[in-house]
Amino acid sequence: MRSALIRLHGTVPPRVSLLASVSLATFLVALLAATQFRSQPLPPSNRFARNQALTQSVNELEAQNRRLKSQVQSLQASVKTLEDDSAQRSSSAQQANALLDTQKTVVGLLGLHGPGITITLHDGNDPNDPSDHSLGWVVHYQDLQDIVNLLWASGAEAISVNQQRVVPTTSFFYAGVNVLVNNATRLSGPYTITALGDPPSLESGVKDPDQLSELKSRSRIYGLGLAWQRSNSLRVPGYDASFVLRYAQPAG
Amino acid sequence: MRSLPAERTARAQRLIVVSLIALLLGFLLVVQLRSQALVAQNLASQDNTSVALLINDLNRANTQLLEQSVTLEQREAALRQALATGGADAKAIEKELTVFKAVAGELPVHGSGLEIRIEGPVQDFEVQDALNNLRNAGGEAFALNGYRIVSGTPIMSRGDRLMVAGHVVAAPYVLQAIGDPEQLQMAADLSTSSLQTRVQVSVVRKTDLAITSVLEPRPLVYAQLGS
Repeated sequence: MRSALIRLHGTVPPRVSLLASVSLATFLVALLAATQFRSQPLPPSNRFARNQALTQSVNELEAQNRRLKSQVQSLQASVKTLEDDSAQRSSSAQQANALLDTQKTVVGLLGLHGPGITITLHDGNDPNDPSDHSLGWVVHYQDLQDIVNLLWASGAEAISVNQQRVVPTTSFFYAGVNVLVNNATRLSGPYTITALGDPPSLESGVKDPDQLSELKSRSRIYGLGLAWQRSNSLRVPGYDASFVLRYAQPAG
Repeated sequence: MRSLPAERTARAQRLIVVSLIALLLGFLLVVQLRSQALVAQNLASQDNTSVALLINDLNRANTQLLEQSVTLEQREAALRQALATGGADAKAIEKELTVFKAVAGELPVHGSGLEIRIEGPVQDFEVQDALNNLRNAGGEAFALNGYRIVSGTPIMSRGDRLMVAGHVVAAPYVLQAIGDPEQLQMAADLSTSSLQTRVQVSVVRKTDLAITSVLEPRPLVYAQLGS
């Protein structure tokens, strides 16, 4: 009875203590042995650490990208104020400034609103078929390019893709698996393409069975999402950077 | 009451069982850690190329943004200086206007670049892909068979021919691009490699290429200012 009471109050019998010690020691030995076993298959190039370093570089460069865009926009606002001030000082400056304001709209530096169409696009289902190497269920940058071209041909006056304005210098491209647009801005699905213009004309362009036929076919086969909706009130933002010409010199 | 040897044997058996369980647990734990690391490693191996390419493009974009920033700072300084002396720098405004007009394709331009000549029929998407690649390589001005092209210029197939902003053009196609010839050449090679399997294509670098055609600005009918 006494012995039992002592046990209840925390004294551990030697046999249990021995068992615990042996278990702990064995566990640690096993841990060390397995850790050694684990370290062997790791490649000497240490790709995991390298990827982490690369990812960190992307984060830093994207932060720098955002800062630079913000700086460009801030400078644009400052220049605009000075141009407006200058326009009050001379008639030639006033005339040039009025033309400049119009031209900013033409090149896509200013946000616009109006009627139009919104197209949404997202990846479909991977059929997990080893013989299917088409990647037809994935939205590719060429799909965005094709839709944008079709919308221009259907009379669009302004277009944005995931809130990135399509301007005269815009191109869509891949950096590995990343779809990039406008100063290496990463786009990811679902993609929303907004086009301002006559909604029936824009819709008839998209509905035309001869247009985007390959994309529509992939939509049926892989469940790739392709939908559109007319609207009387849409908005497209202005381009978030500026233009510099390094090679093309205006003639004359 | 058990004998002493029997008790020792039983204790030894318990020790062995507990040790085996501990051994197993230890291995299971590390195998789990190991498989997690391998999953991360697989992701890393998938992403490394993509990430490296993304870094390259981000570096390029940031250099361009920095260049834009410097240009705007110079413009800001010129305007500020003119205002400080009681005047107005109309030329600074006109300079900016000229750049925007050239970007929109409303002014003739010239500069270094290259000319791609395609001797046979091509599809609209092939030309669009080529333009997209050239624009991505820093191309600043384009023309196809004498028609100025910006990103908003529709190019559509009409049988064996192409419609460029409503104008019918046919082979041979001459695509002119102004920009860094070296960068453009790489993009042109990429674009024409598949074309060359069925039509004759030539790419010629030019030290001074003139694109004289211009686009008329389209008036906005539906879109209005303000976002």
